[in-house]
Amino acid sequence: MTAGTLPMGAPREADPGAGRSWLSPLTRRRWANFRANRRAWTSLWTVAAMVVVSLFAEVVANDKPILLGFDGELYWPTLFSYPETTFGGVFETEAAYSSDAVRELIDADGWMIWPLIPFSHDTIDRYTGGVAPEAPSARHWLGTDDVARDVAARIIYGFRLSVLFGLALTFLSSIIGIAVGATQGYFGGLIDLVGQRVVEIWAGLPVLFVIIILTSLFEPNPVALLALLLLFNWMALVAVVRAEFLRTRNFDYVTAARAIGENNFTIMSRYVLPNAMVATLTYLPFLLNGAITTLTSLDFLGFGLPAGYPSLGELLAQGKANMHAPWLGLAGFFTLAVMLTLLVFVGEGVRDAFDPRRAAV
Amino acid sequence: MPVLEVEDLAVAFRGEEVVSGVSFAIERGETVALVGESGSGKSVTALSVMQLLPYRYASHPRGSIRVHGQQVVGATEDEMLKVRGERVGMVFQEPMTSLNPLHTIERQIGEILYVHRALGRSDARGRTLELLNLVALPNARERLGAYPHQLSGGQRQRVMIAMALASEPDLLIADEPTTALDVTVQAQILSLLEELRERLRMAMLLITHDLGVVRKMAHRVCVMTAGRIVEQGRAATVFNTPRHDYTRHLLAAEPGGDPVPVARGAPAVMAAKELSVRFDLGRGWFQRARHLDAVRRVDVVVRRGQTLGIVGESGSGKTTLALALLRLLASKGDIRLGELAIQGLRVKALRPLRNRMQIVFQDPYGSLPPRLSVREIIEAGLKIHRREMSPADRGRAVGRVLEDVGLEPDAQDRYPHEFSGGQRQRVAIARAIVLNPALVVLDEPTSALDVSVQAQVIDLLRDLQRRHDLAYLFISHDLKVVRAIAHELIVMKDGAIVEQGEAAQVFDAPRTDYTKALMAAAFELETLAGGAADA
Repeated sequence: MTAGTLPMGAPREADPGAGRSWLSPLTRRRWANFRANRRAWTSLWTVAAMVVVSLFAEVVANDKPILLGFDGELYWPTLFSYPETTFGGVFETEAAYSSDAVRELIDADGWMIWPLIPFSHDTIDRYTGGVAPEAPSARHWLGTDDVARDVAARIIYGFRLSVLFGLALTFLSSIIGIAVGATQGYFGGLIDLVGQRVVEIWAGLPVLFVIIILTSLFEPNPVALLALLLLFNWMALVAVVRAEFLRTRNFDYVTAARAIGENNFTIMSRYVLPNAMVATLTYLPFLLNGAITTLTSLDFLGFGLPAGYPSLGELLAQGKANMHAPWLGLAGFFTLAVMLTLLVFVGEGVRDAFDPRRAAV
Repeated sequence: MPVLEVEDLAVAFRGEEVVSGVSFAIERGETVALVGESGSGKSVTALSVMQLLPYRYASHPRGSIRVHGQQVVGATEDEMLKVRGERVGMVFQEPMTSLNPLHTIERQIGEILYVHRALGRSDARGRTLELLNLVALPNARERLGAYPHQLSGGQRQRVMIAMALASEPDLLIADEPTTALDVTVQAQILSLLEELRERLRMAMLLITHDLGVVRKMAHRVCVMTAGRIVEQGRAATVFNTPRHDYTRHLLAAEPGGDPVPVARGAPAVMAAKELSVRFDLGRGWFQRARHLDAVRRVDVVVRRGQTLGIVGESGSGKTTLALALLRLLASKGDIRLGELAIQGLRVKALRPLRNRMQIVFQDPYGSLPPRLSVREIIEAGLKIHRREMSPADRGRAVGRVLEDVGLEPDAQDRYPHEFSGGQRQRVAIARAIVLNPALVVLDEPTSALDVSVQAQVIDLLRDLQRRHDLAYLFISHDLKVVRAIAHELIVMKDGAIVEQGEAAQVFDAPRTDYTKALMAAAFELETLAGGAADA
């Protein structure tokens, strides 16, 4: 930058490569750094692909066909429910497509396209030959669990539930944490003092015991469990955001915003928060990891989601109870290991990209 | 043989040359000044001599640097340790960050003596004291155990100089040694450097953007711009008969001209009576509360279309006074905006009045929110105070005000990081005047800018004042700038007014000793006995 050597009238680029972009040169350098980190970049895409596939779990693993042709008409059993009578059966309930009776009815005058894995997470395979838990075979790639449910299907659904639960918990606890940290840091003084003490006391509660007591009082569903964990999970970001607000609130542009008459909420959200987002973003992958682990361990201990939900923790618990069926424990272990490792790689990439001590590559 | 000989030096960062073809030499006992604006490559050149550039991405494609005949470009780290420790001393701009905050003064200097002079503890202590006396640190013996934060800026700079001298260097590199200091302290440090150079027969490489400092100190001058030396020669010759356009431009750029002429008896836009600001320094459980009286019973009147200048050294309460006047800081005393008393107003009641009083800060990098576009920054005030305006109206208003401050209207879609310091300061001024304020507080608006940009900003401010009949409260430690714009002047020291009156009169015939010392330090770079604080 050669300031001052040119007439002031014509604006000139401080940095010729800057261009007109919302992204500051710093942000673009971070993005480039992240992309240059092959491990993090590949991990990000792998995780993204796994999440996208699991979002369509119903068409990947299901005990209903994806598409069905019968009597010259098309049916979508994964999307809509059709009574057995539609296909000439006797029951008015939904057709049980995997039963021999219904198969024969449909095969007589039509065809079915089955998902890759013809079992859902809660399908109990009554037609399998062996004794549950059954070892991996062509019919059940990863075997079945102790009530004859397909492990591969349960992993796909369980992965989805874990990731969605983790994302929801991370997102909600970030919002609360940012709001609390921002309020404390921006106003400082007594609010900060009291806030910090409350956070410290709250963080001192024996979380696991409280959760065990509460879950034994009522049957938790995913939403209730989310709320419960949220109660103890929101403190993670408070310290970071608070520190960032304490620093930024003394900047001239905050005083300038006060001088033009902006109210506190606008100053916090529009002027100060964008600075705090950098620190927050660095934390998010690790928070997500923590959230997934929390849910899994509660399920493993049996204090998490009730029976019937596809849960990785429950799979691990089954593995522990059935040591003679190692495919249960191994499948659960590898799923968790891969998912958590990939997320840690992404997190490391984000952290390094934001690290000012690491120069651009 | 010259002490330092630089020939055809080039410096590249990631392959891009930022300095090229730089050649100069310094003889024993001589001061050579490298002058240029920010980004001209003068500091990079100085750091090359010490081989202190980040060589992970910096390199020297060409050139040689010889210290006493010894080549330093490409020298090994061991050789460089010897050069740095024994031949060359360096004084940096910011004495607070250049000293280790966790070490005492004795340890900062003693370290060098252990390492390079292999002195024992008691010898090192004696030598340290000698050095501190050499740089005229008052009460040197008691200060051996002091930490950097316990010293004033000038005292810290003296310690830095003592550290640089500890290895008895033949060459002293001073990189903007007085830029962070008050004028009176600056004068003292400059005369100290001058005296030391003479007494120790050192060569001195002085890096500065301040032509006044160059004029006073340098035997020879190298004018740098865009990584090249465009003119070099004896100081007197360069100043009196500059040959290169850039040198002429630089010399002409020093802020000059007179304030906008005004009519007498204009109504007061803002007035304060007996204004005091007291900071709580906290209290222990059993201690009495401690306070700092940052502003003590100050009376201020700013009139329509006029500029009230406030000068004083750092810590004199100038900025605190301004923030208190705008009710951005709690204070005691009566404040009136026009006829309206605003001291007692609640925050909500005050908000609608904010458009009448605005502020522009010193640091154009810190005063603009980095993630908002120029348009969003400027129209934020309009959204609050001119709710009736449609988005299209606001866009036009932003375009108009940008033109007013000398920027292209299409600048509004860009972000602060795309602008230079001077342009950012124009955006900050636009943000203030788009609300049609009666009063604009300018808190050191030119101090962070290069000289030539300073002059342009002052011209702009005067022009805006003339056209919009603005009242300014102009805070600065730079008396040259204040003289170019202020009608009335207040001199502050330790939170109180030392002298006030018409600007011309205070400048030409200062009455108090403090003001006299301040003027001498600012305009002649001389120290006067009496007024100046100890450093």
